[in-house]
This record gives sequence, structure tokens and C-alpha cells, in this order.
Amino acid sequence: MKRALHLTCVAICLCIVAPGFAQQGHPLTGTWSGDWGATSTKRNQITFVMNWDGKNVTGLINPGPDSIPIASVFVDPATWTVRIEANGKEHITAEGKLEDLGSYHRTIKGSWTQGTTKGDFRITRD
Amino acid sequence: MTNRFLVGLSVVGAVFAQSAATYDSSRQVKLTGVVTRVEWANPHAFFFVNVKDSAGTVTNWALEFGNPLDLEKDGWTRNSLHIGDAVSVEGVPAREPGSRAFAKSVTLAKTGKKLFVAAPKKPATAALKEPAPRWPDGRVRLGPPPGKKGYWTTPSANALVDNTAGKIVMSDEGLLRNLSDADRVAPFQPWAKAVYEYRQRTLLKDDPLTRCLPPGGPRQFQMPNGFQFIEQRELGRILVLLGGADRNWRVIYTDGRPQGQADEVVRGYYGNSVGKWEKDTLVVDVIGFNEHFWFANGGLPHTEALHLTERFTRPDLGTLKYEVTVDDPRTYTRPWTGGWNIQWVPNEEIQEYFCEENVEATLSKNVSGKESYK
Repeated sequence: MKRALHLTCVAICLCIVAPGFAQQGHPLTGTWSGDWGATSTKRNQITFVMNWDGKNVTGLINPGPDSIPIASVFVDPATWTVRIEANGKEHITAEGKLEDLGSYHRTIKGSWTQGTTKGDFRITRD
Repeated sequence: MTNRFLVGLSVVGAVFAQSAATYDSSRQVKLTGVVTRVEWANPHAFFFVNVKDSAGTVTNWALEFGNPLDLEKDGWTRNSLHIGDAVSVEGVPAREPGSRAFAKSVTLAKTGKKLFVAAPKKPATAALKEPAPRWPDGRVRLGPPPGKKGYWTTPSANALVDNTAGKIVMSDEGLLRNLSDADRVAPFQPWAKAVYEYRQRTLLKDDPLTRCLPPGGPRQFQMPNGFQFIEQRELGRILVLLGGADRNWRVIYTDGRPQGQADEVVRGYYGNSVGKWEKDTLVVDVIGFNEHFWFANGGLPHTEALHLTERFTRPDLGTLKYEVTVDDPRTYTRPWTGGWNIQWVPNEEIQEYFCEENVEATLSKNVSGKESYK
């Protein structure tokens, strides 16, 4: 009972706190999570951390011991299309479109190429 | 985009800025019915009217009619309208389907009396041309003269625009009449211009202020209900008490301490402020902003690199000149400067106002909850 109450309190706090951290600066800055895969059933979880330094968007894919540095990010503000390149064990190219620009939980979804594997991806800003 | 909106309803001198994201000023609605409820709540007062259509179906309309503090200044009281009064209402309907509108005028059916009839209070302008009050050492006071009351309100501009831009027509909320003027508002980087235009095109619907988040930066001096300086000279600081938004305060340190390192200060809505006097002008250096708010009406973007230099000058009792230089190289291609004048309201204090009150009052009634909490 106590645990249930605690979890309820945590859930309420998260609901209240989350909107307070809406990020209104560069739309790509922040932590994004989602997945990619070649089929709808075989998915791989991914986390992006991106930051705008005034000239370039820099960052990492899957931060931690196996992180992959992002090599380049191209953004077209006219269409909000995004192209992200990274060099891990295999070259990664993610091309997508930023949607729900004004929303805290905005998304990028599009095509994902990793080595010779092609698929799709979708990430949402945490 | 010409004339795509522009609303700031003027009703016998009282300006009730209605939300362009919520109401569609291109349409009008006329309603006749009986008042069923009056919600005298911040930041928007509502009354509710049962309206019967030709088929006899009764619909309860929610009618927003301004901010209680502004309404009281213009002669309204919570007893101006009573439950059971038959009224005719002219208003602007909400954009979304439903029975909600912004009331432009209200007429009592029984007497034909039109509400919103009181003339707004105006300060005695002659007295306000008196010299600025000073401390015994000759320094200008930013607050009232000794033994008096007063606060600052009514900025001469409702949006922040680069001084080099020339005239740009905007609404009270900072919405451009012509979106093509965006280029002149500020020297945007391409991404920032696209974000600004998006916010303008979507009628500022994502404004954090609608969720009662604080108006940091110059926007704190654009808010309805004004602000007040409390100069604590013995403590080497000036408090800025804000009457609008969420009744916040800000501290400007004037004890000679250096500004912190940008990478080390705790980031907040009001930043880290260090001020010094240059003759009769208070110059305030501000860094350490977070990215959770819009720093001016109209949706100007910024990043954590935002650095403001504010200049406050009081040339006479009734005038405060506010000038701010915006330096955010991640958002703008060069530093730029804008500002406005702010009027002194003598012999009055800031009134109590809480942004959340309306949310609390209306969420349970499903009136504006959707607008405020997405």
C-alpha cells in the first residue's frame, strides 16, 4: 500500500514537473530517445544527445561506454529536415523531419541506414 | 498574412488583450440569455450564460471578459453582473468548436445599461513631470518618494524590436501584422528566424507563459499589473517585485560583486543580475538564463548563451526608460538593442495576482484548461 502510494506520488510529480522543463531554444538541443529497425518488429533502442553551439549541432548516439560521436548534423530550417551522420562500427545516416516543433515532446522520424541495413527511425525529445 | 489577426479589444478605454490563439477575431457572435455563474478569477474572469436557440435548446456559454484587476480599474466589480441577469453579449468566438467567446460588450436587458462604461483612471500627468525622487546622497530612487506609494506599469511597446528596425506593427501580444516583417525584428540566425516565424504562424499557442511559467528577461517589464523596485541599499541589492505572470521577484546585486562565470552560474528564468550606477542610469549585466521561457512577447527565441545588458533611467517622477542589449551569438548574428518607456502609477501598490488561480478555477470547469495545459 505504502509502495503504491509512493509510486503514485512519483507519477504525479513527474506529470507536474515534466512541462516545466520544456526547452524553447534551438529545436534539436536536448536528449532524444526512440528506436530504429529494418522491420516493425525488430527494433533497436537509441538515444541521441544533441547540442547547438551557435554554429554546429554536436552530440552523441547512445551515451555511455559504447557511445557513437555524431560526425555531422545538417538542418534545413525552411523544412525542418534533418540529416545526421555518425561513424560507429558501421556508418550511420539518419534522415528525417522534425515534427511538432513547438511541442516539448517533438519528434524526428525518417529513414535510417546503418552499414548495408536500411530501416526507419523515430526519436522523441525526452 | 496581412491583417491575419490583430486583437486588443478596446472597450471604453480598457484594453483587454485576448488570446489570438484562443479566439478568432475574424468572426463575431451575438448572444442573449441569462447569467448562470460569474467566475471572478485571475488571469481571466468568466461569466456563463444560458442561451436558448430557436428550437428551444439551451446552451451554456462561457464568456471571458478580461482580467479582474484591469476590470476593477475600469469600474467593474464582482457585483456588476449578477446571477439571473438577462444580458445581451457581443463577442469573439473561440477558434475551437464549442460555446466559448470573448465578450466585447455586455448589455443588461432590464435597463439597457451597457457595462464597461466607467472611464479608466488616469494618473495626474502634470504631477508626474516632477523631478525624479532622490536619496539623500543624490542618487535617483527607482521606487516612490519617501512616505509615498507607487509602481511601474504600461510599457510604451509590447514587443522587443531592434532599434534599427523602423516601425513594425504588432498586436499587444507581439504578433506581427505582416509576417514578412520578421526579418527586421531582430538579426536572427536562420534557425531562430524559422522558430520565430513558426511561433507567429501558430499564434503563440506554445507560449510557456500560458502555463504560468515566469517571464524572464525584458518580458518581465511587459507584463500587465506592473512591477516595483525595492532598493535595499544596506544589503547592496535591488529587488524587482513583479505584479504580473506569477508574482515572482528578481534580485539585482549592487554590492560591487563581479558577474559569475557563464558556465558556472545556476541557470534560471531571471538569470544572475549584477548592477552598477553610471550617473543616473542603473546598468545591469545579466547572464545565466535557462531555455524554458520566451524572453519577450511575440516568441523571440534564445539559448543559454543569452547575455543581457539592461539600462534603467528615470528622467522624471513618472517615466522609466528601459533599454536592453541582447547578445546571444547562438541565436542572433550580432548584439542588438531595443527598449521602451514605462509609466509610474502614483499612490497605488501592485495588487495581488496569481496566474495559477485561473487554471485552478477553470480546469474543473473545462473552460480554459485545454489552453493552459496541453
